[in-house]
Amino acid sequence: MTRSGAGSLPRYILQRALLVIPMIWVILTLVFFVLRVAPGDPVSAALGGRVSEDALDERREALGLNEPLIKQYFDYLYSVIRLDFGTTFSDNQPVLHVVRDNGGATLTLTMAAFLLALLIGIPLGLLAGRFRDTVPDVVIRLFGILTYAAPIFFVGYLLQAYVAPPLGLPTSGQATPITVFAVEPKTHILLIDAFLSGDTAAIEDVLTHLLLPAVTLGLLVAGVFIRLVRVNILQTTQSDYVEAAEARGISRGKVSRRHAFRNALVPVITVIGLQFALLLGGAVLTESTFNWPGLGQKLVEYINDRDYGAVQGIVTIFAVAVVLISLLVDVINALIDPRVRY
Amino acid sequence: MKRKKLLALFGAATLVVSLAACGDDDDSGGGGAGGGEGEPWILGTTDTVISLDPAGSYDLGSSTLEYNLYQTLVTVPPNSTEIVGDAAESCEYPDPKTFTCTLKEGQKFSNGNDLTSSDVKYSFERSIAIQDVNGAAIYLLGSITDTAADGTVTLNEGAIETPDDTTVTFHLDKPDTTFQYVLTYPGAGAIVDEDSFPADEKLNDEEIIGSGPYKLSQYKAGDQAVLEVNEEYTGENTAKAAQVFVKYYSEPSALKLAAENGEVDVAWRSLSPPDIADLEGNDDVTVATGEGSEIRYWVWDVEGPVGKQTPVRQAAAQVFDRESIAENAYDGTVDPLYSTVPPGYPGATEAYKDAYGEPDPAKAKKILDDAGIKTPVDLTVGWTPTHYGPNAEDEANEVERQLEESGLFDVTLKSTEWEQYQTIYREGAYDMFLLGWFPDYPDTDDYLSVFLVDGGFYQNGYTNPEANELVAAEQGTDDQAQREEIFGQLQDIAARDVPMIPSWVGKNVGVYGAGMEGVEDTLDPAFIFRFWLVSKNS
Repeated sequence: MTRSGAGSLPRYILQRALLVIPMIWVILTLVFFVLRVAPGDPVSAALGGRVSEDALDERREALGLNEPLIKQYFDYLYSVIRLDFGTTFSDNQPVLHVVRDNGGATLTLTMAAFLLALLIGIPLGLLAGRFRDTVPDVVIRLFGILTYAAPIFFVGYLLQAYVAPPLGLPTSGQATPITVFAVEPKTHILLIDAFLSGDTAAIEDVLTHLLLPAVTLGLLVAGVFIRLVRVNILQTTQSDYVEAAEARGISRGKVSRRHAFRNALVPVITVIGLQFALLLGGAVLTESTFNWPGLGQKLVEYINDRDYGAVQGIVTIFAVAVVLISLLVDVINALIDPRVRY
Repeated sequence: MKRKKLLALFGAATLVVSLAACGDDDDSGGGGAGGGEGEPWILGTTDTVISLDPAGSYDLGSSTLEYNLYQTLVTVPPNSTEIVGDAAESCEYPDPKTFTCTLKEGQKFSNGNDLTSSDVKYSFERSIAIQDVNGAAIYLLGSITDTAADGTVTLNEGAIETPDDTTVTFHLDKPDTTFQYVLTYPGAGAIVDEDSFPADEKLNDEEIIGSGPYKLSQYKAGDQAVLEVNEEYTGENTAKAAQVFVKYYSEPSALKLAAENGEVDVAWRSLSPPDIADLEGNDDVTVATGEGSEIRYWVWDVEGPVGKQTPVRQAAAQVFDRESIAENAYDGTVDPLYSTVPPGYPGATEAYKDAYGEPDPAKAKKILDDAGIKTPVDLTVGWTPTHYGPNAEDEANEVERQLEESGLFDVTLKSTEWEQYQTIYREGAYDMFLLGWFPDYPDTDDYLSVFLVDGGFYQNGYTNPEANELVAAEQGTDDQAQREEIFGQLQDIAARDVPMIPSWVGKNVGVYGAGMEGVEDTLDPAFIFRFWLVSKNS
């Protein structure tokens, strides 16, 4: 690889940042047209089966849903450029309020799950790599495959049915309704608001509600990390510098701890960006399973309601989040490894 | 029906809707402001809320809260279909096209503002002016509105008069006794504070102000609502609990788990039949059941090549086994329905049972043979997996089994997603298809006019001038005995012509934990969950 842009990190960041715009435009366009190609519309979703077809048509006309599609598309793009995502059709909420009120729950869930995935995945991956082809390695690999392959709703249900009752853990929601009511919403992230309130009962309540959803989602990503870290540690321990170190009489354990482990973790950073998209996808299912009041659950509801504005708004937020995380990871990689500044 | 005849039906004298005794004389207390000394309790539900501003709601999730947050002029007491006053002291039909209500004195909204006739008029005017597509007003208040070709709905000139602070007079454009029933529905008739609600747009859900037994303290869309006692309320529905929390669930399975684990005190709408059956065996909760009003039925495409033959429709009705559907497809959690009108409604009959008796393939064969129709008759039957719950598939399979086992029909089952389904059933994709109905207002008319007049709302091509005239007649008289007689005639016509085959009526099921009282009292066909009746004593 040439280093045509050698020393041009700002330029690289600018290029990557500019790429965000067409990516988001493509996503917006796809969502816009896919939603409209799908059968039904907000009017039929809300009123179908209750009023006559003539009445439905009158409402479509009144709402401008009978306008030419291309006009609707450019109207939509124009409003997005002005950061106006409109109001949800199905429940009369400003889309940005939906994102504000529900985004905190999704953020809490994904961050907790991510943390758990790191705490579970990396040590187990290192352990499996270090003790390759031993019983622990086989057990950990099997565990990794199972957690990655098992459907989220199935894992969630198992935890709800068999883990929650004996431990007295809640099975749904972000907290009890009484806690949600009592904690003042300063940041719209309930966990942080609970800490800010200083109410230990509220903090405990929120954390216990978070446990099972975070484990469910975290296990999915932990499976990926286990396999990734294991493969990297195997590759690293077979590299020349490790062999050279061992040839100099340094013990394998010491080489692994001091050099191989650290280097094996570098590629994990690259994958984090991709895993964030996986986490958001998984959050949709986890939120539905645990009645978690996040954006994923709202997205499912709005899709069922054919709520064009809401779906477009939430998908855009998801897309922007994934794109920005990817950008951040690329920048970190570029900082760590100058070779990627192409 | 001619105008003179309608006038005669009403009689020269004023027909008074007896609402003077609107104050219940039961033990729910009365007269005192506020109330609500009891413990808070939590209701779990899978219903969704479209809007807490009545101008934008036409759904059960919204109306459940609205019934507790707002007053309407008239309302429905528990386990009754006779309306009584809510904000109104009395209402009457001085003539067939005029409906007048007198408000109770001294009523206030939860913000302390007086509730007057001006607020009532404003509430109707703004709901119609906003004409939100999700609002009920533009669909249900046809007697005081007009719809233009472009879909714009306008309030008729001079349709609502308020001669003084406590009198409201509605001038209807046709004799309509169902109007009084429509007013019980908050989406059409909730009274809002004219100083708080904008005239031309909906108010944010979190900011709504009502005059009902409870006021809204917190609302997080799709997550939870918190209601607290309205200290300004002076009506009869004194709240027992100081606070009621409503927790929203997206999946029935999550609601069931929450009920089992005690995370909610009451689970109401909608648990699946297997979940209900499972919970009935759980000693920690009580499954309470009241009469329901939600129905399922199979509609014929009366203009289609198969459905246009009345004997085919009658033969299918003759082999239709509702008991088996209720048992095999719904674990006995629903009741067989033998008329378009569910039991409990005035004038409800078992017209289909009277006409066809027990399921009998031999009789069905005779009907077809007499008409010279060759068997088996090819029948395309449609259903949707995405609107009526997972058991709709079981019902469709059960219907297919029954029809085919008779040897008279060769059934092809077809299903498609709800959005597509709504379009293609109108285009004749199916000879017979599954639909459901939930009443808009607590009157038998809402199970007849919507199905039998000019093809019904589902536009299946069925027309019967006799049915049209009978519907106009019952809508034009307030003589309940006469109405019930007409209701009977209409149900007989439906059973004879079979534009649709009623299948089952659901029950109103609530599951509650230890210490809860009063849940059974509110489980009735009106599907109004009256929070003020329920209390918790742990």
